[in-house]
This record gives sequence, structure tokens and C-alpha cells, in this order.
Amino acid sequence: MSVIKNVIVIEDEPQIRSFVKEALENEGWIVFEAENGKRGLIEAGCRKPDLLIVDLGLPDMDGVHIIKEFRNWSAVPVLILSARTEETTKITALDAGADDYLTKPFGIGELLARVRAVTRRRLQAADAPAKVIFGNVEIDLPQHSVTRHGQAVHLTPIEYRLLVMLITNPGKILSQSRLMKEVWGPNHAESSHYLRIYMSHLRQKLENDPAQPEHLLTEIGVGYRFES
Amino acid sequence: MRQNNQLGVYVLAIFILTLVTLISTPLHHYLDLANIVMIFLLVVFLNAHKLGRGPAIMSAVLAVALFDFFFVPPRFSFAVHDLQYLVTFLVMLCVGLVTAHLTTRLQKKTEDAVNKEHDTNRLYMLARELAGATTLGQIFEVVKKYLLSLGCQSALHLVDNQGNFPTLRYEVLMHDLALSALRQSSTLNITQLSNNDSQGFVVPIKSINQSFGVLIVQESAAIPDDYQVNVRKLEAVSDLATITMERLHYVDLAQQTQLEATSERLRSSILSALSHDLRTPLTGLVGMSDSLVMLTETKEIKIHSAATAIRDQARTMNNLLSNLLDMARLQVGKVKLKKEWQLFEDVIGASIQLLKPALVGHPITVQLDPDLPLINFDAVLIERVLCNLLENAAKYSPAEGVIEIRGFVNAETACISIRDHGKGFSEHNRDLLFQMFSRGDTESRLPGVGMGLAICKAIVEAHQGTISAETSNDGGAVVTIALPLGNPPEFKPELEI
Repeated sequence: MSVIKNVIVIEDEPQIRSFVKEALENEGWIVFEAENGKRGLIEAGCRKPDLLIVDLGLPDMDGVHIIKEFRNWSAVPVLILSARTEETTKITALDAGADDYLTKPFGIGELLARVRAVTRRRLQAADAPAKVIFGNVEIDLPQHSVTRHGQAVHLTPIEYRLLVMLITNPGKILSQSRLMKEVWGPNHAESSHYLRIYMSHLRQKLENDPAQPEHLLTEIGVGYRFES
Repeated sequence: MRQNNQLGVYVLAIFILTLVTLISTPLHHYLDLANIVMIFLLVVFLNAHKLGRGPAIMSAVLAVALFDFFFVPPRFSFAVHDLQYLVTFLVMLCVGLVTAHLTTRLQKKTEDAVNKEHDTNRLYMLARELAGATTLGQIFEVVKKYLLSLGCQSALHLVDNQGNFPTLRYEVLMHDLALSALRQSSTLNITQLSNNDSQGFVVPIKSINQSFGVLIVQESAAIPDDYQVNVRKLEAVSDLATITMERLHYVDLAQQTQLEATSERLRSSILSALSHDLRTPLTGLVGMSDSLVMLTETKEIKIHSAATAIRDQARTMNNLLSNLLDMARLQVGKVKLKKEWQLFEDVIGASIQLLKPALVGHPITVQLDPDLPLINFDAVLIERVLCNLLENAAKYSPAEGVIEIRGFVNAETACISIRDHGKGFSEHNRDLLFQMFSRGDTESRLPGVGMGLAICKAIVEAHQGTISAETSNDGGAVVTIALPLGNPPEFKPELEI
């Protein structure tokens, strides 16, 4: 990695902090540690981080609170570490502005994959690509055209909007309610089965094996994610 | 007693009139007959006032007779010379009778008013005592005391959840009467059932939305007329008792709800604290051993494999922990399912994705019927079921053994079946399969405490579904979960222009 980048790890458990630190340093990150939320916010304010890793269960304040606070002044990616299996907490954190989450326990491989995914996304967002290619599917955004194996694929307007929403946020989990709001508008938040049926249509049209998708992934109880 | 009293009053009236006659006789020389009439009238009036209707009427008649006999000439004879005295007699009689009537009516009214006030006071006292009652026993004591003061024996019988009266089990007739009183919400008069003439009632204790029981009241002692039991009084008592019981009922309910909420909160906070405290060290263990694995990749084979083993064991431990905590949640009962209408496709895909590391080396095929509808289930829990089943399938399959997943509709259920190509289940322990801590082979070299299938069963049953296991013809194990179909919400495809 050519550019040196800062990451702040806010986590109260020293063991977890230490292996996260080691793993990230091997990848060329400069790691600043904070053992509580207050310290974390101070570090976040003065270190100009490129990534924030936050544990949701901190002793002094709720992780969601930190994310909200941080989002007031920064758009830098936020990755959540959560020991909680409660889906609602994750959704709250995602809706508060977090980009992705890792459920404890996690391996180094998973950690680094998520870190790469959220930071790559940031680079991409800087200059929105005209073309997105995944698997054997090619999407031309200005042309509004989708091809698979070089053949044109017909998508309905809703399917297309949903697909664009997902591919312009690669690697990021989009909560159900957010997708419903962005694609259908604020009045349809109740009928989430529409979202599921349209996701199924998209998979039928774009995935090799719709029941074992590789790109249009479901995060059960939370939402959907696109992986290129 | 009462009879003697009545007689005494008449005697007294006669005595007074005789006395007045005796006193008036000497005065007869000095007074006009008109004034003597006045004296007699006064006495009749006073008698009417003090002695009641009967003696008053008698006094009026007797006074006329005495006046005629002793004072009207010719004296000491009932004969009358001057016919104008007949007018005097008539007026005397009329005045006497009317006064008698008026005074006694007034007295009766006063008496009634006093009685009513007394009644009201008692009812008020009853209401006050009931307001302070905090147990069923107290309510009954208070009611019983009140009814005893009306000369009644009473018994309270409560209705149970099935709508029966356990305390009237052996009295079939009374039981039926009590039931019909409750059903009709009206007091039944059961006087004709008693051996003597005493009155009896079955009074329902029932509010608009709840039946509490009945009060069986039996008149026992002779009581003064004033305090006679009547249906209106009994219904007032039953209304008061109903209000009190309803109050107690809601107090109970509130307490119970609060208690449940508290223990529920405690339970979930214990579980989540446990989950956090146990997962934190496991996270450290997985992470640190994983970094050891990465550091030693090419160099020290021994350390590398040991670190890999530690990592994998820690992950297994985490799975066990998840199962254990889920089981604890499910077993204490009220797990709130977050059911939503969704497709099997999502949850199957996500489970495979989640278990990718464990499924390495096992090709997976998924075959979903095209007509599978939306199904109402808690995706997180069903994902847990599928993960457990897939994990089992991978564990008990030979290497490269295909795992087949099928989704289909069968009768009124939507099913997912997972089939491996392992040994299948042995016949004799298939029934034990879904019980906690049981495994096919009691001493197996494969890890796991046999909790997985028990959790699957608990989760599927929480969805009113079924789970079944069988061995397929070619030997592999097949586990099928079936969830009820229900009525999926409407789906309108978009119009394309």
C-alpha cells in the first residue's frame, strides 16, 4: 500500500485490540487504539483516520452513539465489531452510518476482507464508475443497460433501481428499510416482501445459481449486500 | 311476645279513656258538653299518635260510646233525647278515625325512612370495608358478616378457568343453578328448594367481561320485618363484591405482568451478559490463533497445525455456545418470533454462505420448486436450523459427499429437506434424535453434544412446524422441516410502460 493510512480501533478488550492491531499493521495501517468510547472520539477527532473500527459493547457508551457522533463530521468508513447476535442492534448501527459489521468471534482473514471491502468502496465512490462488471454481468450505468454473457438482460424499472442501489454500494450492507425507502419510496416500508421478491427476480436473471448467489447476498435479518 | 304487646296497647287505651271519663264526670257540672267533647277528642288524638292504628280506631269508637253513656242526657243510658248530639257523635268519630289514620301513616313513613337510612348505612359500611379488602378471604368475611346481620347464612363459590365450580362438585343441582345464574346474570330465587319457609337465593358475582362466582344465600334466623332480605339488597351486595373482586383481579394481573416483565428482562440480560462474557475470550482466542496461523504459514509446520487446531476448536466452541444460549432462550419459553413473509431462497443461500468454511469439500445442490410461495417465518432462527442441519450433513458425510437441499410444497406445508450421503440414521435411535444431548453413536469421534437437532426441533415447533428424520433408500440421512403455508400477502407486479 503506497499511501500510509490511519485506523482507530475502539475496543475495550486488550487481547482483541492487540491482534486486530497486529493484523492491520501487517497490512500497512497505522493503528491508534482506544479502550473506551470517550477516548475513541478524541482520537477520531485529532488523528484524521481513514477507517474507524468500533466495538458495539463498550463500557462507557453505546457504540451506536459513537457512530452517530462521528458521522456528524466525517464520512470515513466505519466497521462494527459486535458480540451481540441481536439483528436489531446491527440494523441500528448500520442505519446510524456504519458501513459493515463483523460478528465476534472473527478470524484475521474475515477482518482483512471486510477492511479491504469498506476502504475500496471509498476509493470507488470518489469517481463513480460508468461500468460495473461482476461475474459475467456487465452494467453500463449511463446507458441503463445490463448484459450477461454479452446478451442483453431485460430488467423492470424497479429491478434496475434496486440493482443500481446495490452495485453503487459494493461490499456495504444495505438494510431492508433503507432499500425499501430508496427504491420504493417512504410509503412502502411495511411491504418488505416486495423487496424479497424483486431480489429473487434479480438473482434469477443475473446469478448462475440463484439459490447459491455469489454477488447478490442476503444478510439474514439485516438486509442485502453486493459483492463484486 | 308481639301478641301480648298488642293486647297491652288496647288495654292501655281503654284504661286511659276510663280514667278520662272518671276525671270528667265531676267536672260535668262546671263544663259545657262541648268542652268535654274536646277532652275526649284530645285523648283520641293522643292515643292515635302514641298507640297505633288499631287502638286509635278503638279509642274513637269507645270515646263516642262513653261520652254518650256518661254525659249526654239522659245520662247512664245510650238513649239520646236531643238528636243534634248525633252530629257531635259523627264528628267525634270522624275526627278520631282520620287522626288515627294520619298519625299512623306518618309514623309508618318515619319508621320506613329510619329503616332505609339504617340499610343505607350498613351498605355504606359494607362498601367501606370492601374497599379496604385485599384478599378474597377478606371480601368473603365482610360479605358474610353483612348477610349475617340480615339473618342469612351465605357461601361464596368461585368459578374456575373451565367455568366450573369446584366447591360445588358434589351438589349437582346447586352447581347447575349456579351456572345458570351466571349465564343469565340474574339472581335466582331458590326458596322452594328449602325444607322450611326460609328464603334462599343464588346471586351471580359477575362483571361485564368476567365471571367470578356466585353467592348462595339462605335465610336462617327469624329477623325483624325491617331487615328482611330482598333481591335488591342482595344485588347491591353482589355489585359491591364484584367491583372489589375485579379490583383485586386487576391488581393481581398488574403484579403478575410486572413480575413476568422483570424476570423476562433479568433472563435476557443474564443471557446477553453470558453471551458477551463468553464470546469475548473466544474472540481473542480465534483472532490470536489465527494470526499465529498466518505468521507460521510456511515455517514451523508443527506450530502452524497446532494454531490451526486451536482456532478451529475455538470456533466449534463458539458454535456450541450459540446453540446453548439459543436453547436457553427457547427453553425458558416465550421467544418472540420475528416472523416475516419471505422466500426460502434467501435463507438457504445465506446459510450456505455462512457455513462456507465448514462445507469445503462438500458439493451442494439446491433445488427449489418454482411454485414455492412466500412463507411466514423468523429468518434468523430458520437460518440457525439450516446451519445446524448443514453442519451435521457435512460432519456425517464422507469427503466429497454431495449435500442436496430441496424446497417444495407438501400438502399444507412448505418443506426444506437436507440430504447427505452418509450412513443415515440407525432405526432404533431415530426417536431419540431430537432430544437434547443424544447422538446417534454415544461415543463418536465427531465433536458435538447432540444439541443441534434439539434446537432445530424447538425452533421449528415454535413456528408450528414439524421436523422429521429418515434414512433414504440409498443410505443417506434426510432431515425435513415443514412450515405451515398460511396466507401470504398480496403481491402486485409492477406495470411496465
